[in-house]
Amino acid sequence: MSTVLGGRYQRPDGLGKVTGAARYAADLSVPGLAHACFLYAERPHARIVKLDTARARSLPGVLAILTHEDVPPVRYGMFVKDRTLFATDVVRFEGEIVAAVAAVTPELARTARSLIEVEYEPLDPILSAEAALEADSPLVHPDWEDYAIRDGVDRRANDGGHFTTVKGDVEQGFAEADVVLREIYRTDMSHAVPIEPHAILAEWRGESVTIHSTTQVPYPARSGVAETLQMPESRVRIVVPPLGGGFGGKCDFHFEAHVAALARAAGRPVRLVFSRREEFVATDKVRHPMVIELETGAKSDGTITARRARLVLDSGAYVGDALFAAEIGLMMVTGAYRIPHVHASAHTVYTNKTPAGSVRAPGGPQVCWAVEQHTDVLAAKLGLDPRELRLRNLVREGDTGPTGQRFDHNGAVECLERATEKAGWGKPLEEDEALGIACGWWFSLPVPSGAYVKLNGDGSGSIITGAQENGSGSVMALALLAAEELGMRPEDFSITYQDTDVGPWDLGSAGSQTTINNGRAVIAAATEVREQLLELASEELEASPSDLELVDGQVQVRGASSRAVSIATLAAKAHGGALLLGRGSGLPPAVPEHDLAGCVGRLGYSAFAAPSFYCHVARVRVDRATGVVRVLEMTAAHDFGRVLNPTGAEGQVEGGVVHGVGIALLEGTAFEDGHQRNPHLLDYKLQTGADAPPINVIFVDTKTPTGFPHDAKAVGEPPVVPPAAAVANAIAAAAGARVRRLPMTPERVWSAINGESA
Amino acid sequence: MSPRYPLSMTVNGLDWTVSITAGRSLLSVLRDELGLTGAKEGCDDSECGACMVLLDGQPVNACSYLALQADGRAVTTVEGLAAGSGKVLQEAFLSAGGVQCGFCTPGMLISAHALLERTPQPTESAVRLGLAGNLCRCTGYQKIVQAVLQAADVLAEPQTKQGES
Repeated sequence: MSTVLGGRYQRPDGLGKVTGAARYAADLSVPGLAHACFLYAERPHARIVKLDTARARSLPGVLAILTHEDVPPVRYGMFVKDRTLFATDVVRFEGEIVAAVAAVTPELARTARSLIEVEYEPLDPILSAEAALEADSPLVHPDWEDYAIRDGVDRRANDGGHFTTVKGDVEQGFAEADVVLREIYRTDMSHAVPIEPHAILAEWRGESVTIHSTTQVPYPARSGVAETLQMPESRVRIVVPPLGGGFGGKCDFHFEAHVAALARAAGRPVRLVFSRREEFVATDKVRHPMVIELETGAKSDGTITARRARLVLDSGAYVGDALFAAEIGLMMVTGAYRIPHVHASAHTVYTNKTPAGSVRAPGGPQVCWAVEQHTDVLAAKLGLDPRELRLRNLVREGDTGPTGQRFDHNGAVECLERATEKAGWGKPLEEDEALGIACGWWFSLPVPSGAYVKLNGDGSGSIITGAQENGSGSVMALALLAAEELGMRPEDFSITYQDTDVGPWDLGSAGSQTTINNGRAVIAAATEVREQLLELASEELEASPSDLELVDGQVQVRGASSRAVSIATLAAKAHGGALLLGRGSGLPPAVPEHDLAGCVGRLGYSAFAAPSFYCHVARVRVDRATGVVRVLEMTAAHDFGRVLNPTGAEGQVEGGVVHGVGIALLEGTAFEDGHQRNPHLLDYKLQTGADAPPINVIFVDTKTPTGFPHDAKAVGEPPVVPPAAAVANAIAAAAGARVRRLPMTPERVWSAINGESA
Repeated sequence: MSPRYPLSMTVNGLDWTVSITAGRSLLSVLRDELGLTGAKEGCDDSECGACMVLLDGQPVNACSYLALQADGRAVTTVEGLAAGSGKVLQEAFLSAGGVQCGFCTPGMLISAHALLERTPQPTESAVRLGLAGNLCRCTGYQKIVQAVLQAADVLAEPQTKQGES
């Protein structure tokens, strides 16, 4: 029985963080450091008719000014190559980079930026995704047909990615229904908002560049630099210092190439540090504004027979990684419910707004918020308790998902039962208080990953991994897995990470994937070391390796702890011969079988591997006079399979819940004429400690094989998905009025109560 | 060149004199002149609290505080916190799991330290209010609040027991 997994563990990078010793990217300095800033378009749509940098260049102390003329003419993009490092002839959103400056001081860089002369011819901005889908709409990208795409992308004109799900016969499903409900929900743009803004420091040595970056995805960032600056990946090294949070906003390839190109032109190391405004306006990775149309048929006993859904994602000026959000959002339209007949579509639409993409659980919170409100409205229409309607429709073993994947035994029902019991569903509450429920599902992403494990001469261990620590603690906890495999303590291991010259390839801290994929790699590497240790010990103990076990820092004959040799002794011996060294990667688990007949545009999220389930219950109080909502308590039940690191998993749930409560009530970007009106933390408010509710965390382990290490599932993203939905249903129950626009600000709640549109 | 002015202050118990232009923030002087990068810049607008330091024992957002106003005064940054009772707070943040990405942590610790100086035995809601000027995106605050309450309990114990813990 393991003494390591499931135990409480103190993260080894914590000491540097509490003492101020940890150096983040913006803390780094090197001799001769120059400072960068970007010149942005500051308008949503325009043609550049003049771009003159001569005056700025002549300023003493200015080391480099770059525009599109100074970098290779490469179009890049994860799915659609629709973008260049610098605007060429047209700017398509206010944060588009027109020029970059490096100078000896930050102040001088900004002065030089102000001397760059740009003249624009204004173009009509396209600001409504729904209007952009009309056949006669002007185009954000008139040359869209010339862009290269990844295989499978289905697109047309302003629709940068179109997807469908077709299951059963939706017309037949509606014909079987006793009631039909049709609704529309809308969400505003929201943001990742890591507390650490982006920062990048690039330094060249000969033909190679080292880039210290706040990226969540060092290897994709390396590929982006290599592609856009046209150099081999082997000459690009990305190193990530401690990362001050990401939440998706630091996914994908961002600004590393601009800074690298500046440093090369300046002949000096160059550092870029974003302001908070830039973090909002120029970080081209925001949560999609969506229009969510839902139509559901159900029998009078509550059995759901059919769902039709249409998602319109306002994806901004460039596609980036947004098609993940669209496809995942599409998977969420059925919720975790058994629905035999489905027809759903998603459109990822170009507009002249900030590009959208992977923010924590891309596509999840918005669609769950709409689907779970829709579920409550359906319950009311059927005269059923919201909990009861869910209980009758949640997936059980043998049911199938929207693309036909078959569910094993899972925790969907148990999450509902335990969360509602803990939250006191059905018990009396204070006046103006109510509970709201939200259920759903998420995926565990199977992707390649790699790691090395070595034992040192003194018996301590070292893990060298390609995985990226974003702050969640997932990389820190890899020591638990190595320790479990080798009968050692997690404290015995050092961890070297987030350096592309050192670790094997990894996707990065994206898709909640580190523990389940890099964990697999670490276990595989540790297994090689384990076999080497057993071989050495078998000579030492004159026993067959199959009769030996690794326990408490020693190799012993099974069941006879006195016939043993310490791992330290074996490690010392190995350092006179063949070293103790393991490498691991292994094939990721397969995605479940599913059926895409009739579906279009699918890109890899067409079935959810090792699906995880959850149910959140919110208790809120609504002030009917002002529309102000206070979330009093959240209860979050998650089926994560086996929880390997409870402190870390609780931290993910608690952080995700509070982020989700922010999405519910406050976090929304107001746009005016294509400009963000609230790109700072005074008017784009996060939950504070005083706002944040206490959170009950419940782990449901159904002990079902997942294909991932120790039957774990993904943890990071699911907790942010259902809070907005649970809060919405609680608001509706308390106020007697439903808010169909996110965030559910006091104005919108008040207007719903008073029957006015907001 | 803009005129420069002398600034003398005590930082974490050491006396410093630097020559700076009038517009410099206390945060930029601490980070760029003194190399004390523990206090972070998250917004440059007093919105996030990542830059908090103690000025004569009172928490201030160093990003929005003119450095010259600190002349003749004593500054404590997160790097200097371990010298006092702050060590107990640091340990509590670690053991309670109140540290994730760590970017808000320096400001949180400064805020929490000032709170416990004012109110050695705070209630949970007093802790939440006391930390309301410090934004955290990772933890949901729950384990940070637990850490502060835990530290308050340890600090309330007799000195001998503290030494053993």
